[in-house]
Amino acid sequence: MTGAQLVLKVLQQHGVQHIFGYPGGAIMPIYDALYDSDVKHFLSRHEQGAAFAAVGYARTTGKVGVCMATSGPGATNLVTGLADAMMDSVPVVAITGQVFSSLIGTDAFQEMDVLGMSLSITKQSFLVQSLDELADILHQAFEVAQSGRPGPVLVDIPKDIQIGAVDFEPYALPEKTFEPVADCDIAKARDLIGAAKKPLFYVGGGVGLADAIDELQDLLDATQIPAISTLKALGTVPSDYPYNLGFVGMHGNQAANHAVQECDLLICTGARFDDRVTGKLDTFAPHAKVIHLDIDPAEIDKLRKADISILGDFKQILPALKATPEISAWQQDAIESIAKYAWRYDYPNEDIYAPALLNKLSKALPYDHVVSCDVGQHQMWVAQHMQFTSPRNHLSSGGAGTMGFGLPAAIGVQVARPDTTSVVVSGDGSFMMNVQELGTIKRFNLPVKIVLLDNQRLGMVKQWQELFFEERYSETNLSDNPDFLTLAKAFDIPSVSISKADEVDAAIEQLVNSEGAFLLHVQIDDKANVWPLVPPGKANHDMIEGA
Amino acid sequence: MTHTINLKAHNRPEVMERVLRVVRHRGFALQQMSMQQCDINQEVNITLNVTGERCINNLELQLSKLYDVSHIELEAATAIKSAVAMNA
Ligand SMILES: Cc1ncc(C[n+]2csc(CCOP(=O)(O)OP(=O)(O)O)c2C)c(N)n1
Repeated sequence: MTGAQLVLKVLQQHGVQHIFGYPGGAIMPIYDALYDSDVKHFLSRHEQGAAFAAVGYARTTGKVGVCMATSGPGATNLVTGLADAMMDSVPVVAITGQVFSSLIGTDAFQEMDVLGMSLSITKQSFLVQSLDELADILHQAFEVAQSGRPGPVLVDIPKDIQIGAVDFEPYALPEKTFEPVADCDIAKARDLIGAAKKPLFYVGGGVGLADAIDELQDLLDATQIPAISTLKALGTVPSDYPYNLGFVGMHGNQAANHAVQECDLLICTGARFDDRVTGKLDTFAPHAKVIHLDIDPAEIDKLRKADISILGDFKQILPALKATPEISAWQQDAIESIAKYAWRYDYPNEDIYAPALLNKLSKALPYDHVVSCDVGQHQMWVAQHMQFTSPRNHLSSGGAGTMGFGLPAAIGVQVARPDTTSVVVSGDGSFMMNVQELGTIKRFNLPVKIVLLDNQRLGMVKQWQELFFEERYSETNLSDNPDFLTLAKAFDIPSVSISKADEVDAAIEQLVNSEGAFLLHVQIDDKANVWPLVPPGKANHDMIEGA
Repeated sequence: MTHTINLKAHNRPEVMERVLRVVRHRGFALQQMSMQQCDINQEVNITLNVTGERCINNLELQLSKLYDVSHIELEAATAIKSAVAMNA
């Protein structure tokens, strides 16, 4: 068979059924092999859309997402999606076509140093140098993408290798193996937890990535220790856990931010002390000892020194940490704080209050729905006011904060989970960044539900201009937006636009009950801001509330 | 602070770029380096002298995360200073 046919065979050996991509000259042999392959290809309308669809696919299933592009500009268009996957530890394999090996380094048409470009935005990358190594490299790509801390891997395949003849060989998937965890560290950590007066779980995306959600929930049940969650962890701690203090960080819940400042033991579980979580780092959790649990040794002591660190598989570590500290006063504080700082949705005005709308939407959607969102104010409102049953059901570009993430990610979700309601919550700025993917929705009849919160502004940037740049609104006014209903119509997507609070219930019902894709356009006040807020460079207990 | 790092890595054409990129991005400057192919396992030995204010263990851990790096060793700081002096 040809190298191109081999590529598809190897994908199938790794259980790949769906891939996202866009063809072009240097990858034509692989597209030709695809023509009669069982692997189903979803044509995006921009390679960034393909990369984000693969990210959405991977994040919502835990399986590897695969995207493909041609050389040169095809590959550069993948870059943002791969960088996003890198920062959020998402297992993605990207396959790029490359010009003939003999033309590499001659500035040939669409010849770019894709391997060179990939170095900082992938976990690993390969330029295939001979047919002999093609299958092995592809197997390695899948293994590296999923092992340890997951991440994106790029495989650049010159055209001569795609058309060359090669034998196909069977392959046995490797067993997942983990180093055993040192018992003495576990015992020390358990003692520290048992002796703590104010312990706090700081839950990150690593728990979901390790597929250890049940183990974490068991540990919470056993210890009854209060917990805070990062953006990527939302959905991990059950919403009915009595000591769930919620979302921590710059736009987190006050209850979470105050608890972290008061705790005497912080159990960092697959999180990484990101600046959007910690605020001014040396003021974060100032009274706490730290137990840091992770799979990635490079996260330990990177930003905050750990008193005890345990590396390894959470499925082994978490069950071994069951201790029962005597913390009734601290639990009582948590319950009071949760009640005191609960989100409020009473809003006297006639226009639409986005947090209230999102909260209603969250309750109206089927139990196991997935929300993908974009980046900005609406993203923070989603994190604050919607509830999730799993971190796989809340896809938000965390580390990279990439506008344009939501729509293609929701496409990836819908392909991976055809029977699940896949919702995008976007802003009018972000939506336009990958709006071409409406074409993908139309082409494959994907019933993606779109909620577009339109404030006619680049809202989050505008909010900072208002608060920190003396209301000098430089380049954040989008009042010349297109007519979004006409835009939806061009892709055969039914839509409705609302601007008043009393229209919300009916519109949500229409969206939830729609058969296919649907766009709900929500006009909101451009002056609405996200509260509370930890101002940049401040400590988390210095959160401010808006007027 | 100057440090010496010895590492063994898979002999791919881009391996030196990978290593140097991490050194720069994680806040260190390169002072001296050498790379030598070893016969066994298609590996190369790389020695780097780097300076930087940040914690060298963080760099060591970041480098050891590279898929192509199979072994890494940090020379004790005092020994490095004399090595640099000798090289100078
Ligand atoms: C690709 C990209 N470019 C720029 C930014 C900077 N940025 C962050 S939020 C934001 C505004 C987003 O506006 P919109 O999508 O309308 O959402 P809103 O904040 O109004 O809810 C911008 C420009 C970014 N995060 N990503």
